[in-house]
Order: sequence, then C-alpha cells, then structure tokens
Amino acid sequence: MLRSRIIPCLLVHNKGLVKTVNFKDPKYVGDPINAVKIFNEKEVDELIVLDIDATVEKRGPNFQMIKNLATECRMPLCYGGGVTSPEQAKKIIKLGAEKVALSSAAIENPELVKSIGEEVGVQSVVIIIDVKKKGFFGKYEVFTHNGKKSTGLNPIDFAEEMEAIGVGEIVINSIDQEGTMKGYDLKLFESIRKKTSVPLTIMGGAGSADHIKEALNKFGIIGAAAGSLFVFKGKYRAVLIQYLNKAQLFTQK
Amino acid sequence: MITIVDYGSGNIEAFINIYKRLNIPCEVASSPEQILTAKKLVLPGVGAFDETMRILKNSGMVEALNKQVLENKIPVIGICVGMQIISKKSDEGELEGLGWIDAQVKKFEVSKLTQKPHLPHMGWNTFKKEKENSILNELEPDKGFYFLHTYYFSCNNSADILTSTVYGDRYTSAVNHENIYGVQFHPEKSHSNGVQLLKNFANL
Amino acid sequence: MSERKHQVCTNCVMDTTDSNIVFDDEGVCDHCNTFYKDIKPNWHTDDKGAAAIEATVAKIKEEGKGKDFDCIMGMSGGIDSSYLLYLAVKKLGLRPLVFHVDAGWNSQEAVNNIERMVDQLGLDLYTEVIDWEEMKDLQLAYFKAGVSNTDTPQDHSFFATMYKFANDHKVKYILTGGNYSTECVRNPLEWMYYQSDSIQLKDIYKQFGSGKLKNFPITNIIWHKVYLPYVKGIKLIRPLDFMEYNKEAATQFLVDEFGYQRYPQKHFESRFTKFYEAYWLTEKFGYDTRKVQYSSLILTGQMTREEALEQLKSPAYNPETIKDEFEYIATKLGISVEELQGYMDAPNRKNSDFKSQESMYSIGAKVMRMIGLEKGGKR
Repeated sequence: MLRSRIIPCLLVHNKGLVKTVNFKDPKYVGDPINAVKIFNEKEVDELIVLDIDATVEKRGPNFQMIKNLATECRMPLCYGGGVTSPEQAKKIIKLGAEKVALSSAAIENPELVKSIGEEVGVQSVVIIIDVKKKGFFGKYEVFTHNGKKSTGLNPIDFAEEMEAIGVGEIVINSIDQEGTMKGYDLKLFESIRKKTSVPLTIMGGAGSADHIKEALNKFGIIGAAAGSLFVFKGKYRAVLIQYLNKAQLFTQK
Repeated sequence: MITIVDYGSGNIEAFINIYKRLNIPCEVASSPEQILTAKKLVLPGVGAFDETMRILKNSGMVEALNKQVLENKIPVIGICVGMQIISKKSDEGELEGLGWIDAQVKKFEVSKLTQKPHLPHMGWNTFKKEKENSILNELEPDKGFYFLHTYYFSCNNSADILTSTVYGDRYTSAVNHENIYGVQFHPEKSHSNGVQLLKNFANL
Repeated sequence: MSERKHQVCTNCVMDTTDSNIVFDDEGVCDHCNTFYKDIKPNWHTDDKGAAAIEATVAKIKEEGKGKDFDCIMGMSGGIDSSYLLYLAVKKLGLRPLVFHVDAGWNSQEAVNNIERMVDQLGLDLYTEVIDWEEMKDLQLAYFKAGVSNTDTPQDHSFFATMYKFANDHKVKYILTGGNYSTECVRNPLEWMYYQSDSIQLKDIYKQFGSGKLKNFPITNIIWHKVYLPYVKGIKLIRPLDFMEYNKEAATQFLVDEFGYQRYPQKHFESRFTKFYEAYWLTEKFGYDTRKVQYSSLILTGQMTREEALEQLKSPAYNPETIKDEFEYIATKLGISVEELQGYMDAPNRKNSDFKSQESMYSIGAKVMRMIGLEKGGKR
C-alpha cells in the first residue's frame, strides 16, 4: 500500500541552512551538506531543499550545491529556487534531483510549467504555493518573494490551474504558520484537496509528531513537510537534525 | 563491471555513486562500441515514453543494445521509464518500444483509485514477490521502494511478472524474462532496499 | 619523524613515533611512569573519590537553587559525555543544561545519541552552530599550514563557545566527560599541539585564511585557565575521575538502556575528527592516536598489551571506505580531491614554525604542578 511521505524541508540562504518564522528572521542552522547526509542516514522518505535567495537575487540555481546535495541522497530530492527555464530544470534532474519546484516563476509564466513538464516529465514538476491570510476578513492569498509580494491570486484557483496544465505535486505552504510550530493550517489544505486530485503536500507550522498524525488522519495519503520540527529541539530551539519514528506514526490510524 | 547506459535520459550519477560506494566497478557507456563490450547493463530513463525512445534512437545505441540483450543475452535492468521502453508500445505515446518483453504500457485507471491523490503514483509503496529470483534477495517488502509514474507496465505473460504492487488494482512493479529485468520504481532512490537490489543485480 | 631506532614501550604501546618519549632501564616509557608516579597515587575512585565528588555536587546544587539548571555539560554524543550525563542526572541528582557545539561535521550517530540521551533523561539542550563558511576557511588554512593538529578549529571552537556561554549565563560549573580511565595517556604535543593557543590559530589564519574571522569563537589560555576559574569562579569538573569507569561496560549499558549507537572508534562523533585521526595523522605524519587511547586502557586494566598490538596491526582507517571519505571531506571543504591530496603530500610543518603562546603553557603547567593544582599526564 502507498504510504504518506514525511518530508524534511531545508531552506538555503547565503550558502547556509536557515530557519525562518513567518518567512522572517532567518536563524543560522549550519552546513547543508552535512544536514542532508544525516537525513539520508536517517532514511527520510524525501527531502525538499529551497534556495530562498535565488528569486530575490534574480539569479539561477547553484548547480554545484545541487550536485553536492544530490550525491548524498539515496532518497528523492526536490530542489526549488530560481528555476526559470526548461534547460535549468533538465540540468537539475541530470545532477541527481528527482523533482524541480517552481513558485513565483509558475505564477509569472504558467507556460513555463508546461514546457518544463515536457522537458523532464510532468511527474517531476512541483508547484509550491505560499499562502498568507490578508486583510480584515483573513482571506487566503498567494504570495511570492519570501512572502513579500502579494499576487492577488486565490490559492484554490491557482492550484486548479496548475493541475489543469499538468504537474506532479503541489505543496501548500502556510506563511502564517511557518516556523511557529503551532500546527498546520488544515483548513487551507482541505479547501485545496477538495478541488484537486494531484498529490498534495502540506507544509508550514508542524511542531510535533501529533500535528503530522492529525494531518495524515484527516487527509489520507499526503506529503507532510516540516522544517523546524526536524531541525530544532526543545525550549532553547537547539539545532539538532531529527526525524520521526515511523513505527510510532503509522500504528495509530 | 556494471555498464550504465548514458543515452541522454535518466539519473546516471546516482547509480555511479551507489556502485562506487559498494566498491563494484562501474562505467558509463555513451556509444555503441562501449555497449558491445559490456557485461551487465543498467538502462535508466525519466520523462515521457516517446521522448525517451526518440533520444535512445538518436543515440545510435539501439542496435548494439538489441544485439547484447537479445543475442548475447547479457543481463540488463531497465529503471522506471527505462523499464517501460522495454515493452512493445505505450498508451502514453505513438512510438514503438524496444519490444524485449511482450508487454504494453498503460495508464492507471483513475476510476480504480478509491482515494486521492490519483496521479502520478508518488511515494513509497510495498511489493509482493511473484516469483523467485536472486535479484530479490534480502529485500524488505514492507519497506518497499519509491515510485513516481503515471503509466504502468502490463505483461502479456504472467510468467514475466517478478513483483507486484497495489495502486488501485494490483499491477506489475518489476519484470523478468531470462536475462532481462525491469523495475518501475527507483532503486537509486530507495535507501537500503534499492542499494541491495542494485547489489543483487551486480551479483547475478 | 624521529631518527631514533623504533622502540615500543614494554608496558604500553607508545613508541618512538612520539619523538620525545623516554624509556627507563626496563624499557617502560615516561607516559607509564608519570601515570604510576603522579596520577595513580592521587586518583581515587573508591569511598574517598565518592566523598570528594559528593562535596562538589552539594556545592553545585546549592549554587543552582532556583535556577533552570545548576551546571552545564558539554555533549558531543560520545561515550564519555553520554555516560556522564546519565550519571549526573540519575546518580548525582544534578540538573545539567546539555550544551552541544555544531561545527558542521556531526555524524548521524552523534546526533542520534544526543537526541536519545537528552529525551530519555528529560533534559534541555542548547546548541551553538559555528559559522560554517568561517570554520571551512579556518580548517583549510590549517591544511595549508601543514601542521599536525588540523583538528584545532573544531576543538578550539568547542572550548571557546562553552566557556563563553558559562560566563555569559553566570554558570559556575561545567561538567566534562574528560577522564583518567581512558585518557591518562595524552596525545604528545608533537601530535596534537594545544588547541586553545589563539596566537597560533590567528597566525595560521592570517597566513593561509582568505577573509576575516568575524563570528568564529576564540578563547585564550589566560582567559579560560586563569581568569574564568580564579576570578569568575567558573570551574571545570570531571566527575568520571571520582568513580569506577569502565568504557565497555558503560557503552553496553547505554546501548541497552538508551538505544545508543556505537562508534567504530573514539572521537568518531565528528566526521572530520574521524578522518583526521584515522587517516591524516597516521598517513601524513605517522602519528597513530590509537596508541595513546589503547595505552590509557592498558594502564587502567581495560585492555591487554597483546590486544592493543593486535589491533594496531590493521590500519586505523577503513581501506574500503577511505576513498569516499576523502572525497566527502574535500567536497565539504569546497576543494577538489586533487587539492586535498596536494596538502596531504606537502611537507610536514611544525607548530614552532608559527607564532605561539607555548612558553605560557609550560610556565603555567609548571606553576600548577608546583602548587599542587593540576596533575596531568605527560605531554
């Protein structure tokens, strides 16, 4: 039977790993290569690595870093950050990543999603939708550029549009919950799950194994991604790479 | 010596890395001459069926591959789309496959998938051994392998089915016909099970 | 390397690769004799030791009343610090804050072991992550300098960070897993020069580093050996010296009770230290730290000389994986395998080729011994 995927998500900023809260105040967490190596040895299901500077700095991916990280992964690696062409996507896959993630580029140019899908295969294309509540009524809206640029897009409509073009997976990331470790935004995820049938991954806010269990119980087979949960420990937010005890997670269902 | 076929599709590096760390000699072949001296072949592949077949044909290695696999009967393992192109044809495209195994590639029937998500089939799934073969030694069926595909391999001879997996219905996740092997999943991205399978292939 | 005829101690396994080694008429080395003369008579692991540590523990508890923690413990994930953590909490009733310095080289076993110990003992963890770009640059500078103590950047950062934390948070007691049981023989200075010598660190970086050390924590011998202990009253306590400590028994206990993962050799919590001790030191300089470790175990009755000699017959590194490890080190340091090999093949340099505070260490050690404050093994 197919299982849900529990996915650590690492953010790269100035060559180092960082963790943010609501996409702000990056805290230095260390060297990406060693972190990936440890996750690999812990046999995590999958890994997402996002370069949060690339789009803002208007540059392409750091291919050497992608190669170094992919070399340490005996599990699928999804890379995102600064991908704006099918050639870049092809190179990323060739260097050893399984999937390529697009965020702002997919919004600015939906055609790119199609052409990258043609180049590397639709199943290898991942769309990351960063969502924040905006305005008095707290309406959900899609944001880009590390949560700074509002797009006016409704996340459900955008997800449907992407699915129609053809993608492998959509990651729904709650900016409001990110880094808070207070739990996922289940409502947001549910609203998109209802309208789509492509693999979905929930991200932003997981603070304990219970949060992940809750999401799995509610939504069945999904990807559950987390950053802080797998990187911080305890009240002093000590930096320590951790994963989940899978046996514990899957027995109570 | 393991020879990884580099015809322009698939993740060559991952296989090289794994065999390197296992201290099993491996090389990359990107010309027909190199194919003809190989003892064991790994045929990777990602992307769409037609595109993959097209690139393979353009590489000029098809004849050499056919000779080695069908005449000289050297062991070969097709990975993911590399397995799908071993079939006769695919619903996904128009071109013919290599036809090394009597099978065709079909799209998963969404109506059989009782819960979301539907396609692609993405993630870790288990397998069931359908016949004995040393390539399956010391694998953990419950731990499974990582799958990422929308089309599946459908054998016309059930004797060719090596392992099966459930996604909607039960379907063929690995095949074997004499010296020819194919796996739908990604052993190069399936941690210990994957490394073990690749090791078993080298030890055939 | 020494031009002396190769000679091995008849009691332990130290030999003339320590070019300062001195043998007596029975062929017993000065490491052993220092142990028998200076350390053993003053080392109490019986009631006397228990009483001594109890007195210290009482002081620690008093000092820590009303605070979140009463001491800090530097934890690498290794056996000594892990076992000490267990003892400190379960046997001595202390409430340590577990302190870990991440220099970018943690092995999966180390991270797992820290997590297990901290979780199962119900403790809080604090980590300091060293700026990796600076650590990388400093480590490369040491490789380029060609000296033997290439692991100084890691060691130095551990001490500096821990002392700074203790000072900043006004914590008076630092527990460390350092112990005579497995470390009564110490690495000769020639093999591992003082890692706290900041004058040398700065000189090496000035000559071979490429930028500035802005975030890298630097300590100095006066600060942490004189100022902190004697002016600020921050003391380093080694509880393992006051009780029976058998390394194998301790390890098995942790494996059975805590799900601890064993390491192939001492100091393998860090991938860099593993490479450094098993390959760099042995192949480039001929210094095998296993001789030091085994000799300590021989002197404390945990290993026989025959067992040690047998183990020393095989290489310190694993020939099957060394190529991959070498490549990993190079990749992580951002250089090619060829460049790293170049440093390996370059001439060996001495610590005396660079500026140092060595004179201070010798004077200091002499003074300490004279006033009976410190009994260390021979360096």
